[in-house]
Amino acid sequence: MAEMVRKAKTGEIVNHWVLAVSCILLIITGYAFLFQLKQIGALFGGFNAMKAVHNWAGVVFSLSLLATTYSYLSESLHLGPDDREWLRKGGGYLTRDKPVKIPPMGKLNTGQKLYYLAVLLGGIAIAVSGFVIWFWPDGRVIRIVSHLAHNLAFSLFIVAVPVHAYLGSLANPGTFRIMVYGTVPLEFARKKYPKWIEEMKRK
Amino acid sequence: MSTTPAANRKAILVTPEVCIGCRGCQTACKSWNQLPGIPTKNRGSAQNPPDLESNTYNIIRYSELPSENNPVRWLFISRRCMHCDDAGCMKICPAPGALYKTREGAVAFDRDKCIGCRLCVAGCPFDVPRYDKNNKVMKCHLCYDRIAEGLEPACSKACPTGALRFGDRDKLIESARKAGHEKIYGEADLGGLGSIFAFKDAPKIYGYAEKPGIPESVVFWHTVLKPFAVVGLGGAVAAALLHYVIVGPHREEEVQ
Repeated sequence: MAEMVRKAKTGEIVNHWVLAVSCILLIITGYAFLFQLKQIGALFGGFNAMKAVHNWAGVVFSLSLLATTYSYLSESLHLGPDDREWLRKGGGYLTRDKPVKIPPMGKLNTGQKLYYLAVLLGGIAIAVSGFVIWFWPDGRVIRIVSHLAHNLAFSLFIVAVPVHAYLGSLANPGTFRIMVYGTVPLEFARKKYPKWIEEMKRK
Repeated sequence: MSTTPAANRKAILVTPEVCIGCRGCQTACKSWNQLPGIPTKNRGSAQNPPDLESNTYNIIRYSELPSENNPVRWLFISRRCMHCDDAGCMKICPAPGALYKTREGAVAFDRDKCIGCRLCVAGCPFDVPRYDKNNKVMKCHLCYDRIAEGLEPACSKACPTGALRFGDRDKLIESARKAGHEKIYGEADLGGLGSIFAFKDAPKIYGYAEKPGIPESVVFWHTVLKPFAVVGLGGAVAAALLHYVIVGPHREEEVQ
């Protein structure tokens, strides 16, 4: 068996699953509220019960999102010239014929960093506006603003989350196992995350 | 969600100048709807309670304004749900059946289906919906239970002067025209209101917006963000599938 290198700790794997499941539950119930989908409401035992599921899944999601800052925030804020180059080349995802040589990446690539920052900001917006709608019943203007913020952030999530799920599974064979086992073969990691491997060697 | 205007759409025509401010409508409403009376306070105005409440579906607003020939001009204006044809509350409501349109064009509510999210407060152009202690919506429903049986709403039934008149919406508008009111407030606003007003003066004198409308953010949400929720998710999934088929997965061994 090839030598493996650990990319995600057990806590990070668990938290990512908590985040993913709560996020998908929130999106499904969110669509049911948005379009008054009675069939989905029936799955949860009616809209009153679904509201409770949506609200409490929101609590889980918010706490889980908070926990991700420990794992991904500082790495995501380190953006440099390599990241600009990565973006210019579309991360190497946009051509089939000639594999594009992309700049060396660290533990997270540019797309992942920007995705994380977008999810963090969008997540803060959707969580804060959600809690306002839940716990701040009075005040017409604050409800109007929160309703808009909640739905704008929702628009971000419904586009970004499917793309993230695709890039982390089908688009990059060999990466989905990080979400399950947390490890990747060393050879794979050398090619995919050269700067991260160098960094670990130095330590 | 918008319903076709009912052929037999009913309305209440409010003529403030005919109102004597007796508040019989407030009392009759509470009586029919079995809403509790509440102790009132003197706030320097005969208007009590100061605004709509979960147990007060309609009020008479007392406005004192100076006029050309008098230091004080009294205006008594009935305030209640406007029963919009294009109802912002129904547009924003996430719970099916919690707010609904009756055949007569009334915007009624079903407390069992209301989930207490209070978003209708954000969608209403007239700040009408209120919530009770059980966190369920409460507001004027045009006595849908009475009018379905051919009776008139409790408020207009009790009105001694004709300041509140209930009937077929078209006929009420026609009669107000004949009485000399060129413009009838609510005739065309929001698809046509179910509470229409024969104002003698500018609407703002009576405390109503010249051009009432659903909040712009709610309109934007309804016309842009809601369709985007379908197109955006569908587009993202389709883009991923197309990428997989056309470009294919990213294989490290190919990159040297």
